[in-house]
Amino acid sequence: MAQQTLEPTVKVPGATRARGHAPYGERPAIAYLFLSPWVIGALLLTVGPMLASLYLSFTDYDLFTAPEWVGLGNYRDLFSDDERFLAAVWVTTRYVLISTPLKLAAALAVALLLNRASRAQGFYRSAFYAPSLLGASVAVALVWRVLFDADGVVDQALSFVGVHTGGWVSSPRYSLGVLIALSVWQFGAPMVIFLAGLKQIPAELYDAAAVDGAGWWRTLRSVTLPMLSPVIFFNLVLETIHAFQAFTAAFVVSGGRGGPVDSTLFYTLYLYLKGFTEFRMGYASAMAWVLVLVVAAVTAVLFRTARLWVFYSGER
Amino acid sequence: MFRRRGGVARAVVLTALGAVLGATGACGSDAGPGQPSQVTIRFAWWGNPDRAEVTNRAVDMFEQKNPDIKVETSFAEFNAYFQKLATEIAGGAAPDVLQMDYRYVREYGDRNTLADLNDGASKVDTSGVTQQLLSGGTVNGKLYGIPPTQNTQVFSYDFAQWEQAGAAAPKEGWTWADLTASAQKVSDFTKKKVYGLGDFGGIEDWFEVYLRQQGKTLYTPEGKLGYTAADVEKWWQMTDAMRRSGASTPAEMTTKMDGSQQNDPVFQKKASSGFGYDSGFTPKTWELLGREFKLSPFPSDTGKLGQYAKPAMMFSIAQRSSHKEQAAKLINFLINDREAGKILGMSRGLPANAAVRDQVGATLTGPPQVGFQYEQTVGPKLEPAPPPPPKGAGTVKSTFQRVYDDVIFQRGTIAEAAQKFMTEAEKAISAG
Repeated sequence: MAQQTLEPTVKVPGATRARGHAPYGERPAIAYLFLSPWVIGALLLTVGPMLASLYLSFTDYDLFTAPEWVGLGNYRDLFSDDERFLAAVWVTTRYVLISTPLKLAAALAVALLLNRASRAQGFYRSAFYAPSLLGASVAVALVWRVLFDADGVVDQALSFVGVHTGGWVSSPRYSLGVLIALSVWQFGAPMVIFLAGLKQIPAELYDAAAVDGAGWWRTLRSVTLPMLSPVIFFNLVLETIHAFQAFTAAFVVSGGRGGPVDSTLFYTLYLYLKGFTEFRMGYASAMAWVLVLVVAAVTAVLFRTARLWVFYSGER
Repeated sequence: MFRRRGGVARAVVLTALGAVLGATGACGSDAGPGQPSQVTIRFAWWGNPDRAEVTNRAVDMFEQKNPDIKVETSFAEFNAYFQKLATEIAGGAAPDVLQMDYRYVREYGDRNTLADLNDGASKVDTSGVTQQLLSGGTVNGKLYGIPPTQNTQVFSYDFAQWEQAGAAAPKEGWTWADLTASAQKVSDFTKKKVYGLGDFGGIEDWFEVYLRQQGKTLYTPEGKLGYTAADVEKWWQMTDAMRRSGASTPAEMTTKMDGSQQNDPVFQKKASSGFGYDSGFTPKTWELLGREFKLSPFPSDTGKLGQYAKPAMMFSIAQRSSHKEQAAKLINFLINDREAGKILGMSRGLPANAAVRDQVGATLTGPPQVGFQYEQTVGPKLEPAPPPPPKGAGTVKSTFQRVYDDVIFQRGTIAEAAQKFMTEAEKAISAG
């Protein structure tokens, strides 16, 4: 039906020549037509700016006047002459290493709980997913900031048990922890993927395990986790990349400054500060490319190690 | 299968249709149906909601008098405002009329992003403004910003609380040690429920006054730093001692200060005095503060006051604005119109236009009147403003505050922090 309505409207040059293959010959054209919004978007909004930033990373560019070629100068300064850069790398590394495993563990735990048949399952699934929908939004980060501020709800509640920090977000010791907690709380997206993965595991494996007398823990280790490992791997790669790119929460919670004492100076936040408040867009571009390379390298390492622990049931 | 593909195709068509309709919708609202000649300009400033309220009232009046011009306004606190402005200007989407700071005027002017207000379509009538103030917005002979107002540094304190605590009020010739002693009294009296003083060590503006009291300046006429690490260290040692003794606010409170009222310990009733500019007084100020304040000049150890008559801020026009004429008209109105002056009062400081100033002074009541009287008493002692600071000065200011966090959170010694600041500041100036 769809074919009938579409065919007359699309005229492919030379279609008559390939009459015998007409239905197949026309499809790529339609495909490209429908792809075009995405292709144009990708070229103009992603590939183009990326190439431009690659060029700018070799220049001294202040946003307003013409860029000036400086070769590798920006990259050299980054690694030899910028203490804040190193601080930003350290903050980001800690954030990635701590928040990603915690978030995945939380997502998996909740997915395991929700995977049991229950009438309220749909409700719980939505409830746990909701924070992720709001995840990248400024509003949630603002709420988080108020909750953990001096005299905020968290501070007041903990004051009852004698813990008083004078504001979690304004203490260099705890501020990164607040951001990690915010990230972990938004475990909904990996959770939904885990849930889908859990549903794919054949029930007969569990039956067999039960017959063999395996307990809950044994089943989890020997059936669930191996069968789920491709999904775990997928989530791990995705969440690691996301963690490297974290920006909004740090920007909002620290008032756009990465403080106190650079304790929430995420890599992307520092990049932004360099580019847009210090007018050093060439330098910021160099930072962006260093980040791209690091994320690519980390992803490559993850794929390498995947062979050791990811189990694809189709493989022999 | 077929049904599903049909569904996809329909969805694509509908989405495309939606996008097209959305686009035309946007065009329609921009042109203003039925009023083809109406022009919309954007006007942005930094400040708090009470300043916004009076500014919007003045803008409404401007729109009534100029039905062919529509003004869209927006505002943010200082830090956020400049972050946004940089992005907008770089992206070619700057507001037509924008509030510019003394510290940034060279940064933006030198990079050809601001229009000359003495020439062409963007010319504004500045005959009522003193040359002294105009020079603050002049870079390389071009007028990039017109100060609508002047202000000066001020110390303000909750006099009732000070009296209760037995703290000596500021008087002629008071010193930094007097300030420390009084602030300590307040903190002790309230058992640190309210600190005597908001920690001001990280604010470069007050450091500048301290420098000038010793005959130094923030920048030399050549645009180099006019002080050394030793000066910074001495200043931070003084303010750090106040924090340690509990006379001023603790680190967690201080680090949040960003120029907004909600993060200012004085507005939060966590501190009973603080330094500032006398350019934010609106009829609502006492209400927002929750108590009344008195104003005093800075303390000084040298007998020299160090304060100066500063262009409180400037109005500038973006070089890329396509409605320069209308933008100039708005600035002209805000600066020179008597009615507008009445509405704006002291919300941006003392009006720069002498005629407006006299008229405004006669009608003021409440907090704006207190600000006006302070200007009258301190005015004769004020020095002329230094020339606009060099490029990179904005970064130096934010670096000063950031590195001060190292001091209050005790990361390393004060001497180390001062040295770190100097290194970064010199880099920022030379990179500019």
